[in-house]
Amino acid sequence: MLLSILRVLTYILGIAGSAFILPLAVAMADSDIQTALAFLSPLLAGWTVAAAFWFAVRKRPKIFDVKSAFGVVGLIWVAVCVFGAMPLYFSGAFPSFTDAMFESVSGFTTTGASALHEVENLPRSINLWRCETHWLGGMGVIALAVALIPLLGIGGFRLIKAEATGPDKGKLTSFIANTAKSLWLIYVMLTVIQAALLHLAGLGWVDSLAHAFSTMGTGGFSTRNASVGAFGSPAAEWICTAFMLLASVNFALYYKLFTGRVREVAGDSELRAFAVVVLASTAVVTALESSTATALSQTLRDTAFQISSVISTTGFMTADYTGWRPPSQAVVLMLFFIGGCSGSTAGGVKVVRWTILAKEIVNEIRRIVHPHQVFTLRINGRPGYESLIPVVASFILMYFILVLATTFAGAISGLDVFTALTAAASMVGNIGPAFGQLGPTANYGSLPAALKWWYCFAMLAGRLEIYTLLIMIARVCRVPKTRTQD
Amino acid sequence: MTIFIVGAGFTGMQLARMLVLERNKVVLIDNDAEKVRHASDALDCTVLEADGNSIEVLEQAGIASAQAFVALTGDDEVNMIACQLVDSAYPAVLKIARVRNYAYYSAVDSAGRRMRASGSDAVRAMYGMDAMVNPDVEAAGAIQRAIEHGAIGNVIDLKNDFMLTTLGVGADSAIAGRRMRELSGVEGWNGLVAFAEQETGALIPRGDMVVNVGDTLGVVSRTSDLARIAQLAQAERETFRRIVIFGADRVGSMLIPLVAAKRYAALWRSIFGGKPAENRREVIVVDRNADRCHEIAERHPHVHVLCGDITDEALMNEEDLYSCDLIVAASGNYELNLVTAAYMKSKGANKAIALTASTAYGAVARKLGIDVAIPMRGTVVDSILSHLRGRNISAIHSVCNRSFEIVEGDISGKSRFAGKKLRELGELEGEFLLLLTRGPDGVTEMPNGDTVLDAGSHVVLIVMSGDAELLAKICGK
Repeated sequence: MLLSILRVLTYILGIAGSAFILPLAVAMADSDIQTALAFLSPLLAGWTVAAAFWFAVRKRPKIFDVKSAFGVVGLIWVAVCVFGAMPLYFSGAFPSFTDAMFESVSGFTTTGASALHEVENLPRSINLWRCETHWLGGMGVIALAVALIPLLGIGGFRLIKAEATGPDKGKLTSFIANTAKSLWLIYVMLTVIQAALLHLAGLGWVDSLAHAFSTMGTGGFSTRNASVGAFGSPAAEWICTAFMLLASVNFALYYKLFTGRVREVAGDSELRAFAVVVLASTAVVTALESSTATALSQTLRDTAFQISSVISTTGFMTADYTGWRPPSQAVVLMLFFIGGCSGSTAGGVKVVRWTILAKEIVNEIRRIVHPHQVFTLRINGRPGYESLIPVVASFILMYFILVLATTFAGAISGLDVFTALTAAASMVGNIGPAFGQLGPTANYGSLPAALKWWYCFAMLAGRLEIYTLLIMIARVCRVPKTRTQD
Repeated sequence: MTIFIVGAGFTGMQLARMLVLERNKVVLIDNDAEKVRHASDALDCTVLEADGNSIEVLEQAGIASAQAFVALTGDDEVNMIACQLVDSAYPAVLKIARVRNYAYYSAVDSAGRRMRASGSDAVRAMYGMDAMVNPDVEAAGAIQRAIEHGAIGNVIDLKNDFMLTTLGVGADSAIAGRRMRELSGVEGWNGLVAFAEQETGALIPRGDMVVNVGDTLGVVSRTSDLARIAQLAQAERETFRRIVIFGADRVGSMLIPLVAAKRYAALWRSIFGGKPAENRREVIVVDRNADRCHEIAERHPHVHVLCGDITDEALMNEEDLYSCDLIVAASGNYELNLVTAAYMKSKGANKAIALTASTAYGAVARKLGIDVAIPMRGTVVDSILSHLRGRNISAIHSVCNRSFEIVEGDISGKSRFAGKKLRELGELEGEFLLLLTRGPDGVTEMPNGDTVLDAGSHVVLIVMSGDAELLAKICGK
């Protein structure tokens, strides 16, 4: 079992290492030798270990049981984050390993909270790598591994399930590798389209690609201090708005769209609820923020961008929402706790969980009036979702416990309570910016190291939807004596 | 005719009795010694204690020379296998099976229909069954027809928008006290009385018969004329906005999709209650079995499913079920159906339909105030008989507790009556003829003395039960 775990771990590090090629090429093009070496050394190390393992144990069977699947996924994510932090640290761009690690975790979990206040001085390659971590973490490194090489064998679906988001995970095609390939293909296509559009809107190639990575992964890192607003291009802002929303929709729906199941997509309960939330909150905030001083088109653009950025858990900024009127800020705060759709690259609680709970609440009210009536819970017109109610309810409870614990951690470290609370929601929901001291214009660099490590944990727990990470911790910490009991 | 019947249960016995009455040679097979003893005492036919799905047993009993094989055991699979077995050895025998599992029934039925529609001559009967009978499907259909026509009585749909409806004659009826021949003079009476049930018994009415209050008439009419006829007979007719269905087992679960609304009820109304709007219909299903309730709720999102005991007064008050427009008692417990329907009606339900064990309960049901009683067992025998009566007969509906049969069929060229006018038929005077349609696309008419019985016409007749001779005379063999 240990062998299987190590093998998968090394293979995935090999794949993550291959992702260094892109920033490495940019560093070479800029003839930035120090940064190039910072990418090249972990790349070679990763490949060497992976190759060694491949030659040594390729003939052994690949089997994962349920218990280890969750543990392995947690372990892989921690390992990938550490690996991704290496070039950031070696290149000297980050003052400490803690900061590099925070940046890497924030990248792979698609949070987008930066430890730096100044990113425009960084080498282009480092900035591209920061955004690429979003892209890799958004769809999931394990899904990528399954799509590229058939290395996970029988337990593959379990691993992907432990990494994917949402309460109800299924396969699109009969083979999990085909499902992973289809989803990654759609992901790549959307990314390429967005990068091309951004380039047309006037951005340079590296900027376009970096922001496309960041948008599609719903991350939030930018190559500019002032985020997307720095380009001063309305077109680029609208493109980002659209693709942030596209990236927070369940990717399975694109697959259905391509296979002609349009009716299913139109009838998707989660998509409808998501659309209602986005449109309603945009309308409300636009109405609240519109004034004679600014043109309506400008207000609408800013509102739509910020709303999309928060609900998709991206964290790009073109306007500072902490300067908005209190009711508008309240709307944004609500969006902090909603998140995108299941099966997307977005974080947060996920719309479908709230949909299930809302339907259950309606049923509960009707049950009081009609105690003998039999009620069903339908999602996408299909019954049988009652069994998910306890799963969803306990997830949401866990989610809020984690948010409150993280709030406490922030408050101990000297943040005011409002900042600590919103930062906690931002970390667990993988959003990025918060309110107060840690608003869109601030950064996380000045926080104490211990709090950064706790935030790393909170971001990973949020991205892996809590249980995966808890199981990993439970397995790692378990006393060997109890091993016979299961 | 030699007919094999496997399974000597209620339906098997009833069918055997009908066939023996028509002087057929019947071989009844059952593997239950007690049933066999009872059957051989009661019926004048061969009764064997053996397994009906054993080809050796069937061969010894002479299946080779039989015309028909009817499988009526309590086991769908045994019935289907038995038919398949007979089919593989003796394909010429007409094979009929009772199939109660709706999944089997609908799958085989639709597949068979699809294959026949493909037009190929080589199409074989599915599972060797020339015909399947499903009592639940037929009962659910009968209930649906009764509901759609306002629950004034049992409804039989006939050709070209004609129908036969049983009507009770109300106290202030415009036709009460009149003779049969005077009815044609009553404004708006556009119907033909096929049979009447009076206190003295059931009869095919002659011109001098007087209609009394409390009689039940079987009236043939156009669908569009029914409203006026029902009004003249003072049988109240309604459209239903709030229907309570008691029992969601076989018949009930089949009935729900036939009558249920296709839209959700408004949320505020499902919380605060109240009657549905004029053009909406609310269907409430009550069943005691929690699993069944859950399944129905999953399958039919627009239906309110209540899991509880229909005899629980608290539940009925809680959901205000007494104020419903119609109660349909369609559970598998036929006695409880009668009691429930009668009780609900006495508590304020406007109309009541009850699923009963057999036609014998019809009179009792009417006395209890139940508007329509749908017999469960009679329909199976009818539909089997219609298959056995030859190719000219397309349907048989028993009425008046099996006193008469309403027969739909075609007049063949071999008929002794073909080409004759009704008044030339002497003693019969054509009272047996209810409707006649000339040719495949012809106009349907109600007959008079000058109507000619052309060969090739489609006819609807009423005959005494078991009067196969008259049928043979009219339609030809």
